[in-house]
Amino acid sequence: MSNYDYAIAQTIEDAVSLLNEPGKRSIPLAGGTDVFVALRVNDLWFDRLVDVGRIPEMRQIREEGGKVSLGGAVQFKQAVENPTLRERVSFLSAACESIGGPAIRNAGTFGGNIANAAACADSLPALVCLEAEAHLCSAKGERVVPVEELVTAPHKTQIEHGELITHITFTLPPKKARSCFIKIGRRKAQSISRLSIAVIGTLDEDGIIDYVRICPGAAVATPVRFRNVEQTLIGKRPGKELFAAAGDQLVAEMIESTGRRWSTPYKEVALKTIAERALANIFLQDESSC
Amino acid sequence: MAELKYIGKPAQRVGGLEKVMGKTKYVGDYNLPGMLYARTLRSDLPHARIKRLDVSPALKVPGVLAAITSEDFHNHGQFGFPIKDMYMLAYEKVRYVGEGIATVAAETPAAAAAGMQAIICELEELPAIFDMDEALAPEAPQVGPLRADGKHPNFLGHYPVYKGNPEEMLKQCDVTIDQKYETVMQEHAYIETEGALGIATTEGGVVVYVSCQSPFIPRGHIASVLNLPEGRVRVIVPPVGGSFGGKDDLNYQAAGQVAALALKTKRPVRMTFSREESMIASYKRGAMRMNIRLGADKDGTLRACQFKSTYDSGAYSSQSPFTSWRASIHAMGAYRYDACTVDINTVYTNQGYAGAYRGFGNTEVCSGIEQAVDEMADALKMDPMDFRLKNCLKVGDVTPHSQTLTESVGLTDCLLAVRKMSDWDRKRKNYSNQPVNGDGKRRGIGVAALFHGTSLGAEGADEATGTIELHDDNLVTLTSGLTDYGTGSRTVYTLIAAEVLGIDPSRIRVHLPDTNTAKDSGPTVASRATMLGGNATKVAALNLLQNLDWAAADLLNCDLHQLQRVGESYVGPSEEPVSWETVVSHAREMGLVLSAHGKWTAPLIQWDEEHGTGIPYFAYHFGAQVAEVEVDMNTGLTDVIGLWAVHDIGKVIFPQGAYGQLYGGISHGFGYALYEDVDYMDGYLQSVNFDTYLIPTSADMPEIHGGFVEAEFSQGPFGAKNIAEPAMVPTAPAILNAIAHASGRRIRKLPANLERVMLGEALKKKASTVSCKVALNIT
Ligand SMILES: Cc1cc2nc3c(=O)[nH]c(=O)nc-3n(C[C@H](O)[C@H](O)[C@H](O)COP(=O)(O)OP(=O)(O)OC[C@H]3O[C@@H](n4cnc5c(N)ncnc54)[C@H](O)[C@@H]3O)c2cc1C
Repeated sequence: MSNYDYAIAQTIEDAVSLLNEPGKRSIPLAGGTDVFVALRVNDLWFDRLVDVGRIPEMRQIREEGGKVSLGGAVQFKQAVENPTLRERVSFLSAACESIGGPAIRNAGTFGGNIANAAACADSLPALVCLEAEAHLCSAKGERVVPVEELVTAPHKTQIEHGELITHITFTLPPKKARSCFIKIGRRKAQSISRLSIAVIGTLDEDGIIDYVRICPGAAVATPVRFRNVEQTLIGKRPGKELFAAAGDQLVAEMIESTGRRWSTPYKEVALKTIAERALANIFLQDESSC
Repeated sequence: MAELKYIGKPAQRVGGLEKVMGKTKYVGDYNLPGMLYARTLRSDLPHARIKRLDVSPALKVPGVLAAITSEDFHNHGQFGFPIKDMYMLAYEKVRYVGEGIATVAAETPAAAAAGMQAIICELEELPAIFDMDEALAPEAPQVGPLRADGKHPNFLGHYPVYKGNPEEMLKQCDVTIDQKYETVMQEHAYIETEGALGIATTEGGVVVYVSCQSPFIPRGHIASVLNLPEGRVRVIVPPVGGSFGGKDDLNYQAAGQVAALALKTKRPVRMTFSREESMIASYKRGAMRMNIRLGADKDGTLRACQFKSTYDSGAYSSQSPFTSWRASIHAMGAYRYDACTVDINTVYTNQGYAGAYRGFGNTEVCSGIEQAVDEMADALKMDPMDFRLKNCLKVGDVTPHSQTLTESVGLTDCLLAVRKMSDWDRKRKNYSNQPVNGDGKRRGIGVAALFHGTSLGAEGADEATGTIELHDDNLVTLTSGLTDYGTGSRTVYTLIAAEVLGIDPSRIRVHLPDTNTAKDSGPTVASRATMLGGNATKVAALNLLQNLDWAAADLLNCDLHQLQRVGESYVGPSEEPVSWETVVSHAREMGLVLSAHGKWTAPLIQWDEEHGTGIPYFAYHFGAQVAEVEVDMNTGLTDVIGLWAVHDIGKVIFPQGAYGQLYGGISHGFGYALYEDVDYMDGYLQSVNFDTYLIPTSADMPEIHGGFVEAEFSQGPFGAKNIAEPAMVPTAPAILNAIAHASGRRIRKLPANLERVMLGEALKKKASTVSCKVALNIT
């Protein structure tokens, strides 16, 4: 049985000062859906949990001038229910809706998902596509780091001790953008992503792809955009053959990044499949797959 | 028969409301003043000699009051049935990762864990066997006990059924099938983990509350390992949070350990397992490798079956002799054959250990034979439903065991009903002509049938005794030595007693099983509680009824045959009703005994173990299930979109209970088909909790359409047979057959997970010993 302290932060300043109190290893606690699972099997790695889940500003989703701000402690349930997100970045809502089950979505947060930095974290691929930025606050001040760069390896981030993700921001994509998130899990709920993909894009007036972003989940060490694949698609007319080529390229780059692993024989087929399906959904309006 | 008032009518489940409201107290909720907590040191090696075991350092840990090893038990704590190869705590050797070695009792769980960790235990690793096919090699390390007959110690038993010579007949058949099928181990996943609470009595005996199925078995074991007369050991079964066959041996060990510690410390001692400890230490459904050969004529007549298999019992025999026997009886499926042989060889290895689990051998063999039968139908270009209907057992048939079926064979009706309910003919045709559509998903529909021998069969003596008592406040209580661990048997007994006595079920209570008040009725296994316990309850209630009827006749001044019942009341020739209460008080005034016993003994059966022939069971359950699936050809994901199940369970006594068993059983079969795989690698469990050991969620289960064929069994209570185990048996093969229909991909090794469906094989991560080792030390 672990012995540790617990403190509730009322404000961001409060949280930062608690997290930076000398002589005590303090870490943020939001929904606890990762912390308490880890605590069961790991030696205690902190002296105190600082509960940041009750700080009002960190629980808000705001939209202003085409920019969205998600508080670090916004729960997935809130994101799923938010009309702006549903309308403008439906792949993010879909990703949040795929997480765990109702209880986990009522507790789990974006801040926790990012800081925990699992390769299969489901909210990350969409955030990476949106070029979302994490706003970090510590005793040293504030800094802003793109989510894609913040996560450096599985379960490793650039977040320093005493730093708090106060909020995450991104610019809303063009109104006409369509997006898609596909997750393969072994079952329909309480299921870790075996593989996932987030894709967003637009066509110009001539029906040519003029904007596309692709980020698979659980494919490589961290959720990153596959920019070469995006380049393959830009300026082209959507079509099955193009998407098949993009899928092949995506798979080749995945294998280049990870090497051939025990799971590669499965992932190389499945990743191509979901990539093609996501692209068809967005650019060919093929509703069956997303 | 007069119209039934309570049997087969909607009823409130006994104990249901308390469970839904969270009020039920399980043994882990029991707290007594001065109670100690017990914790077991478990082996982190799959096979080892215990070189040194010293518990004295544990006793120096603050808060620790006692520690025990095999030395603290009579005869080293040896127990087991039918083969005595286990110990309350390991003696000289450990044979699987997770085997208990020593147990401490302490003031707090933390002190108990610290005490457990302080024990000095030096293990000398021994070579181990992880593959059942290597168990009988001459040089294989010895896992099982030495045998008197000189056979390999890792050989546990051979279980045959012999009729004719299929080898010869297969040569004459127009079409033959020869395939290998394999099942893997499955975890019971009961919500309540193992637990026991021991209390020493002033007379030097012990009372043990233990979550288990069959209280008289641990009473016997505890008495034997503590060298106490059985009368000094009282076992009470508190509400049980699920079992599915899983609460035998390990719980008996927990019971024996808390009993020993309670006697030693003179304090109550409780042990409750964490989920990880439960997963690592507990037995599972065993794995089986099968080779099935079938032969049929061009016209679709099945003629020959040759079934050969190996069953892995793991480190201990547990129930495997019985599981293997039941498997052998059901291995050929519910069909007629001119010639049929079954040979099952059961062996010891160091892959955990296998014991009882719902379906008990039939679940394993059914997943093989029902796929083979489907493959045969395909080869014959016959509809699998027609093929089964043509060959399935009917009244008057002789089974391959040489048993003539004289009554209660409802399989044809089950198949016809499920065919209609599922819209089989239309779907089968449509999906068979399916173009490969653009989205890579394809649908299919599959069927599987089963028979399942009721009760113990030739496993052993088959009888049960119930008691009934009418108390001063007119409450009627029942006892049974059989446990309602979620099956609904208490409701069944209530309805039977109410029906017989002609009183409202609300007047009746059923006591929890207690070896001091209930009568030994054999084990609560083999889906026998309704038939055995139900019949015993019926006899007991009839005995009580006699006295009440007599009192009524006396009161109404008439002969017994002139009595009538209107509602609960008695009416005589005067046509003036007298209330049941009035009759009861008159019976008291007359000095009549208002309690009774009722004993029921099952019809005789016999089995010739050597020649594999006889009458294995006195009656059979039959059933058929249909699964409709959509297979994503490019991700391997199988979505089960519909399930239909029609079972011949005899007379339905408690409808909601019967449906509950049906749905629950199907969800177990669903997991068995698609997700579940107790992945021992080199003896180490890889999934030690439900984050990685996946069972179906409510989101995965489609709507289940259930139905019952009531082919009444003349000797069942009101014609009832059984449902609990057979509900899960055909689910996996029905799903696998549907996957094959949809995708053309035959998954002959369970489970049909993403990789197997897409690539035809599972992908294996490197084995790790870490999660087991970490989990055994969780504090
Ligand atoms: C049953 C179950 C199912 C799950 N299913 C999924 C799933 O389908 N998909 C998925 O992606 N995940 C899943 N998860 C994992 C988990 O729910 C998510 O990662 C969730 O986002 C974690 O958020 P939290 O608020 O609970 O984090 P916590 O557990 O509170 O914290 C996690 C880590 O983040 C740090 N942290 C938290 N908030 C901040 C902050 N604002 N700034 C800096 N650091 C912070 C904590 O210190 C800790 O190190 C599941 C977990 C469980 C238990």
